[in-house]
Amino acid sequence: MISLQRLTKRFGTQTAVDALSFEIPSGQIVGFLGPNGAGKSTTLRMLTGMLEPTEGAATICGFDLRTQSLEVKRHVGFVPDSGAVFESLTGLEYLEMVAALYGISSAAALPRIEQFITFFDLGMDTLGDKLLGAYSKGMRRKVVITAALLHNPPVVFFDEPLDGLDANAAVGFKTLIQTLAREGKAIVYSSHVLDVVERVCDRVILIDKGRLIVDGRPDSLVAAHGSGTLEKLFTQLTGGSGLERRAEDFAKTFRS
Amino acid sequence: MSDAVLPPPLPPSLRVSAVAPSISGTLRQLYLKLFLRGRSSRGVQKGGAPKSVRARLGYALFFYVILGLLCVGFMGQPVFALSLYIHSTTLMFLAMFVASSAGEVLFNKEEADILMHRPVPSRALLWAKISVLLQVALWLAGALNLGALMVGIGASDGGWSYPLAHAASTVLEALFCAGSVVLMYQLCLRWLGRERLDGLMTTAQVLLAMATVLGSQLAPRLIGRMGKSVFIREDTWWMPFLPPAWFAGLDDALSGGGAARSWALGGLGVALTGLVSFLAFGKLAATYEQGLQTLNERANAVKPRGARRWLSALVSSAPLRWWLKDSVARASFLLAGAYLARDRDVKLRIFPALAPVFVMPVILWNQDSSTWAQGFGIAFGGVYLGMAPMEGLNLLRYSQQWQAADIFRAAPLPGPGPLCHGARRAVLCLITLPAVLIYALLALALSREPSILILILPGMLALPVFAMIPCLRGQAVPLSLPPEEAHSAGRGVRAIAVMAFSAAIPSLALWARSAGRLGWFLAIEALLMGTAYFAMRRSIRGAAWPSIE
Repeated sequence: MISLQRLTKRFGTQTAVDALSFEIPSGQIVGFLGPNGAGKSTTLRMLTGMLEPTEGAATICGFDLRTQSLEVKRHVGFVPDSGAVFESLTGLEYLEMVAALYGISSAAALPRIEQFITFFDLGMDTLGDKLLGAYSKGMRRKVVITAALLHNPPVVFFDEPLDGLDANAAVGFKTLIQTLAREGKAIVYSSHVLDVVERVCDRVILIDKGRLIVDGRPDSLVAAHGSGTLEKLFTQLTGGSGLERRAEDFAKTFRS
Repeated sequence: MSDAVLPPPLPPSLRVSAVAPSISGTLRQLYLKLFLRGRSSRGVQKGGAPKSVRARLGYALFFYVILGLLCVGFMGQPVFALSLYIHSTTLMFLAMFVASSAGEVLFNKEEADILMHRPVPSRALLWAKISVLLQVALWLAGALNLGALMVGIGASDGGWSYPLAHAASTVLEALFCAGSVVLMYQLCLRWLGRERLDGLMTTAQVLLAMATVLGSQLAPRLIGRMGKSVFIREDTWWMPFLPPAWFAGLDDALSGGGAARSWALGGLGVALTGLVSFLAFGKLAATYEQGLQTLNERANAVKPRGARRWLSALVSSAPLRWWLKDSVARASFLLAGAYLARDRDVKLRIFPALAPVFVMPVILWNQDSSTWAQGFGIAFGGVYLGMAPMEGLNLLRYSQQWQAADIFRAAPLPGPGPLCHGARRAVLCLITLPAVLIYALLALALSREPSILILILPGMLALPVFAMIPCLRGQAVPLSLPPEEAHSAGRGVRAIAVMAFSAAIPSLALWARSAGRLGWFLAIEALLMGTAYFAMRRSIRGAAWPSIE
């Protein structure tokens, strides 16, 4: 479903993503991890056609990222971490607009939107009357997730999708993506909440400074490195060792 | 989450719609809606609609119609003179509108996250944006030229064909204007990068907006003085260098004298509009996506800002170091200074609004050449400069990042007083002081009697009190209100009321000067203003946070 061959992105002299290669088949949920500035968002932006790679190649559902970017875009859904929406549209207007961009008429999109409204407990009145600028962060996130899944894409990229969602919505969302993966979708899940990644993902890809560090099943990786948890594996592999000690020392400076 | 029921599989009909909506149409609708409602509705309370942009657009169109009627001053003049005037005005207003909207519409950073991962061809995206820009530009041009359509019929060499010819040349002019701005944006983005382009465009917009406001104040008076002595000829050698002259030439060729030179000017206009349109909307459309991607890339680069350095140096040097001993006032000064120097939204709101404040004293000097009138003009101008801190502080309260001002309430501050004082001092130092210096230099250059300059003093003594007025009840907290609320008529009415009341100061100063008691007058004024100043400062220091709904 997703295939990267030495995908690289440079901003001037700075290499954000450095010859990244991996494959993701359908039906898999892959946790895409890395510390801040590792190149995760840049990789996701390249894979969704928002940024042009400097070198290397990638295909999504067999479509080449460079030469068939519109086809690629038709086959992916993306929830960006910014959660940006057009704030002066109502939720319904926004979703109808997104549907239209994928060639789905309002009449066909509306029943589908209603299903999402029911699932996310959004309320048709809220969605139809209230401008997105007045939504809470969680409600806005639900609209953005709906907009990513509305056209039923075979590949979905989530960048911090749980940001702002309440506990109930988060539980429902996790079940949703697991079921979607069983139905055959390839899901890339980027997040810093590692215990969720450990529970939800079949596989973890960890990058740092734009390079691939490890790639494998979370339990196998944790066992192979003797880390105990994914969180500890992450700090071990990304130069975070000794952080607890440093935090304790720093906390001592607050003593009056 | 209701019962965690997963949506059923997507029906096949959803994958390929029987009647697929057009992407271009959807995008055009989207951008028109965004334009009419405004991009941000963060100021909206639950369920409320934003302050109507439609209504504001309506008022703007009405204002443009009224402004366009000034061309009656050209009644009975040749078509070329009338058309040159109205096309110049139209081009100035359209350029201002298109330039101020183009950056936001064409290259919006937030929009990348919403649209760029969707199957939208870059050409369709660009066309949708341009068509909305053009549509609104044509509404504005239409309103501004409504009066000219009638006046042209009565021009010395005009006739009934003028409205048709002028409508056509106005459409061409709108196309030329939109095309030029889009072309410039695309080229600058390629050559300069987003950050420098933003700075350049903001400065250009601020200057253009100020020039427009100044022009709208001065033009009616100049036209009034012209009377019947307008001599504008199409065969002047520099005419081909003026874009409005091309479109005026077209009017003259089609419905006026029809001189060969007018045909040449009109032809030049048509050819150059075609070329600009081809380059902006055709040739460069293919690379529009690259421009949008550049936008994403630039977002990653953080450059040190020069303004931060000079502001820091300013507050850490005497005398500001002494004046800003309070750390909260200093922080507020730095915040206000940074936004006055860097933020496009704040600059575009404040500086054009201050333009009339600066032009009014100059107009007053020109009313009458008598020494008494000049003295009154200079004294009143000095007092009128008090509007600069009042208006500046009032407008500095509005920002698109108004929600970030919650941090002031979260901080352990008993009230907003120190924040108001910091902002007040920033406006006084960065806006008012330069304005006063320029005013004094202009007065010195234009006045026949240098000693008359002492009449600026009464205004200068009142100025600190005027600057305190917006801070009363702690209302001048910088960047703390949504920009939608900036369009309040009450603010203007309050400022006019204060200035009307203060008009007594120059009259009394002149009377005291003629009676040889100006020194006494200044001493009494200083005493009264000083008392008012300290009473106000005390009141602001004790002001509590106003409640927020």
